[in-house]
Order: sequence, then C-alpha cells, then structure tokens
Amino acid sequence: MASQLSFTGFAWKNLWRRRLRTLLTLWGIGMAIGAFVALVGFSRSFEHEWLRLYSSSGTDIAVVEKAFLNTSVDASLEGKLAAVPVVAQVSPMIFNVIDLTPEVNALVFGWRANSYEFGSLTFQSGQHFEDGKPEVIIGDALATTLNKKVGESLDIQGSTFNVSGIYHGGTALEAGAVIMPLDQLQQLSNLQGKVSGFHVRLRPAPPGEAPDHYLKRAQNEIEAALPGLNAQLASERASNNQFVALAHAVAWGTSSIALLMGVLGIANTMAMSVFERTREIGILRAIGWKSGRIVLLIETEAVVLGFAGGILGLFFGWGSLRLLSMLPQTASIVSSSLDAGHLLKALGLSILSGILAGAYPAWRGSHLSPVEAIRHD
Amino acid sequence: MTSPILEVRKLCKSYDEGRIEALRGVDLSITASEYLAISGPSGSGKSTLLQLLGGLDTATTGEVLFQNAALGSVVNLDEYRARQVGFIFQAFYLLPTLTAVENVQVPMLALDLLPSNRAQRAESLLREMGMEHRLNQYPNQLSAGERQRVAIARALANAPSILLADEPTGNLDSSNSARIMEILTGIQKQRGMTLIIITHDNEIASCAPRHIRIRDGRIES
Repeated sequence: MASQLSFTGFAWKNLWRRRLRTLLTLWGIGMAIGAFVALVGFSRSFEHEWLRLYSSSGTDIAVVEKAFLNTSVDASLEGKLAAVPVVAQVSPMIFNVIDLTPEVNALVFGWRANSYEFGSLTFQSGQHFEDGKPEVIIGDALATTLNKKVGESLDIQGSTFNVSGIYHGGTALEAGAVIMPLDQLQQLSNLQGKVSGFHVRLRPAPPGEAPDHYLKRAQNEIEAALPGLNAQLASERASNNQFVALAHAVAWGTSSIALLMGVLGIANTMAMSVFERTREIGILRAIGWKSGRIVLLIETEAVVLGFAGGILGLFFGWGSLRLLSMLPQTASIVSSSLDAGHLLKALGLSILSGILAGAYPAWRGSHLSPVEAIRHD
Repeated sequence: MTSPILEVRKLCKSYDEGRIEALRGVDLSITASEYLAISGPSGSGKSTLLQLLGGLDTATTGEVLFQNAALGSVVNLDEYRARQVGFIFQAFYLLPTLTAVENVQVPMLALDLLPSNRAQRAESLLREMGMEHRLNQYPNQLSAGERQRVAIARALANAPSILLADEPTGNLDSSNSARIMEILTGIQKQRGMTLIIITHDNEIASCAPRHIRIRDGRIES
C-alpha cells in the first residue's frame, strides 16, 4: 500500500530530518512557554489568593492611602469611618512581609482580637491572642514549615512571641501567615497610632438598590467622609495591590524575555533549515509550487515547532507550579491549579511565536529564484 | 500546419550585468507532440534555453510563447510549471526525506487533489516505470537508474503537456541510459507529449526526429 503524503506530513518530515536541532528548538520554546505558564500562573495564583483572602473574611472595601501599598493611615480615623451609615464593621489592620528564618518569610497581619476577620479562620489548636500581649496565632501550613506547636515561642525580628493558636485559613495566604495583635505589630513596625488601612464590611444593600450601585455609593460616601483616603472594592484591591502588580509585572517581563528567546530559537532553526534546503525549495518551485505555498510550508513547520514546544511548555509550567506549591518559601502563595484560559493563552502565544519566527525564513524561501536555488550547493 | 505549442522569438539571456551572454537571439518553434533533442558544448546556452522554455527563468529580451501566449505576462509561470511542464534533471533531485511514492506526490500538492487520489496516481505512475517493488524506498536506497525513473514519474505527476529533460542520462551507465531513453520515448509516443531533451550524447540526440545544435548562444542547425 502506497503511503499518502499530506502537506503537514511533509512539513513534519522536513523538521524530523534534523532531529537533534528540532528537539533542541522544542526544548527552547518549551522552556519559554513553561516560564510563561509558571510565572504568570504564579502571579495569577497570588492575585487569586488575595481575592479569596478578602472574600473569605467578608471584607467589601479596603480603605487605604491613595498611592502606597504599605500605607500609613491614622488609626484614630476608625471612629469616623464607623460612623458612615453604610459601614457595618471596621477592622483596622497592618500587614507586612517579614523574614521569620533565613529561608522562610511570611505575611504578618496585625488585627484587633475582636476583628470580624477571624470569622474565616478555624482553630485547630489553642485559642485567640489577647490585645496587648506578645502572642501570635499562625496558619497550619506555616506551623508545619516552622515545626511550631501551641505554647512554643516564635522570634520575630528580635522579639519573642508566644504561639497561642494554630488555625486553618481559608486561603493559602492565611495558611502561611502570622496574625498578631494590632498593637504588637504597630510596636514591632514602629507604627504607633498608625495602621496600613481599614477593612470594612458594609451593611446589606437597601431593597431595590443594585449591588454594583450600592458598592459605588458606599465608596463615594467613605471617601467623602475621609478625604485623602481611597475606598477600594475588595476585588480591585486584590488585583491592584502593589504586591500583585509587581508579581504580574515581573511575570510578564520575564516571560516576554523567555518568549523572545524562544522566538529567536525557532527563527534560527527555520533560517538554517531554509538555507540548507535552498536547492529543494528550487526543485519545489520548478515542479510547480507557488511562492505562497513555500511560505505556507515554512510557516507550517515553524507553527508545528511552536505548537509542539507549547505543549511541552504546558507540562514544564505545570511541573514548576507543582514544585513551587510544595516549597516552604512559596507554598503559602502558590496553587498548582491552572485555569483553561491561561493554558489556551500560553498555547496561543506558542503558535504566535511560531508564526512570527517563521515569517522571515518563509519570505526568504519564497523569494528564491528557482534557477539560482537549483544551482545552490 | 500544426500550430506551435512553444515558440521562441529573438530570445536573449545575459548574466552578470550583460557581461555573459548565454543566449543571443534564438528563434525556435516547437509543435505539440514533437520530440526534439538539443545538443551543444558546455556553456553553449542549451540549459539556459531549457530553463526559459520551462518558465524557470525569464528572458533578458525576446519572448517565449506557450500556445501563442507569452510566458510571464499572459501565462503565469507558477501555473505553467505546475500544469503544463514536467522537469527531469541530470541529478534527479529527489527529496531525501520522502519515499519514492511520496516524491511523486509532491507536485500534486500544488494542485487541489484528494490525498488518496494523489497516492493512487503516484503508485500507478511508478508501476508504469517498473518501480512497483520500490514504492516505499527512500532515494538513498535506490540505484541511479531507479532514481531517474522516480524522477520521471514525478515529472508526469500533474499530466503535463511538455516534458523537459536536462541531460537525463548524464549520471547513468549505458544500460540505464538506454532504459531511460526507452521510457522517455515510449511516454512521448503513448501520451503524445512534447519531449525536449538536452544532451551531450550525439547518439541520443541523433535518435530524436528533430535535433538542433547550439553554440555560443545561437542555434547552428
């Protein structure tokens, strides 16, 4: 039985004749796409955890200074904020990232003992801390990492705190965090009388008022009562806070560099392939292939490289995220789950990389004179 | 009188900004189903003439007419090469990554044929060349004579009206040369194709009903 030759089969055979080069190129684009999947997945996972942090505690709005992450807001404004009619509960808070050991850093939250935000936590052992005492509660993931139990002490930046409870957090950020009395963290951070901001739970929307409209009105009322401060919706705060923005920027920046290297790798492979096959391209032209079909052949080869590299990259990326989600330094903020949209975007980028990388070699191949190409050694 | 399938008028081709003149005003008329041999010493311009007749290159001045229409202006060169012309080269130029039957299918990829039809036609052409036992062999597994027979099948893939052969026996021993010439002349007779052969071999050239000689870019006889 004679084998049927398809156009894509022909393209694949052209790639496979230089197996090592093709595999190295696949490895390169795979690493680039893997970096994209892992880094952008990491930053999205980070953003997602922030959103869950707000939603699990029931926070509707975060009141912070307009421009800064570690805002320094006067704690005494709490009374004014609580007096705004739409506000049901106010939780003044500080958060920071602190090195607990040379290997482990963690988010540290300062809350009041009566904060509504405790509602999202389930104590596995021990109990709440008390305001004014050097006590902390720690998430179960962090307790495992640090091998700490209730009653043991934890040194934070030269001060010793008693672990009064271990909780299970609703989010990876909480599971890997330390929560201590607000006054203790103010003292530790030299922020007496200051807070990072206020988390606010709103009263239920009046009947007949659309939720979006109500949230907008609440923002306006809070900002009117506290000029100079910014009332951000929890969802906006999750995606706009500067930790997340920085993570996104680093992820996209690094991925872009990796993708550029991947594109150059494919372009180099295709350019070499076209050069080596100059005579063959001349033969194809001689036997009736139009220049457009030559473009299509070379672009198909480049896209096959991009696509196959993309599939490889998805596995690299997923594997990297799995690894990050297991490492103590990153376990608290990385989830290994990937959403379909992100994967499709990665695959789309890999195919686009192939198209871009193949463009010049394809143009060159299609513009070869048949006679000169056939004469080429 | 039969109208010419190919006509060449005052054809000139120069290279290197006019310093090398490969053809110097060639006039030639070739009728449909004609078998023509072109011979001449190296550098005489015979291969250049074949390339211009096959639409692989364009003339510096003058024109080549296919069925009274000028190549390159009225007749699209890609279409012409895909549908009207089959090339056979001295060095065969088979694609090394494809089997014999796949090589024959390559020209058909330029046309909109179903894959199964392409394979069927390629197989039938190779059977015609006596290559039915070598369908799935790669070029490096074939002898020189077998490679040339695959190349002939490839040239016939899109059922062209003109077969152009540039030294088709140049790389073959005498028995393979005789076999290839037998195949080519057989095809020309059976299919009524126009066959134009470039050759150094006077014996081969003299077998053609019409034989022209080229020297220094001009037709001698």
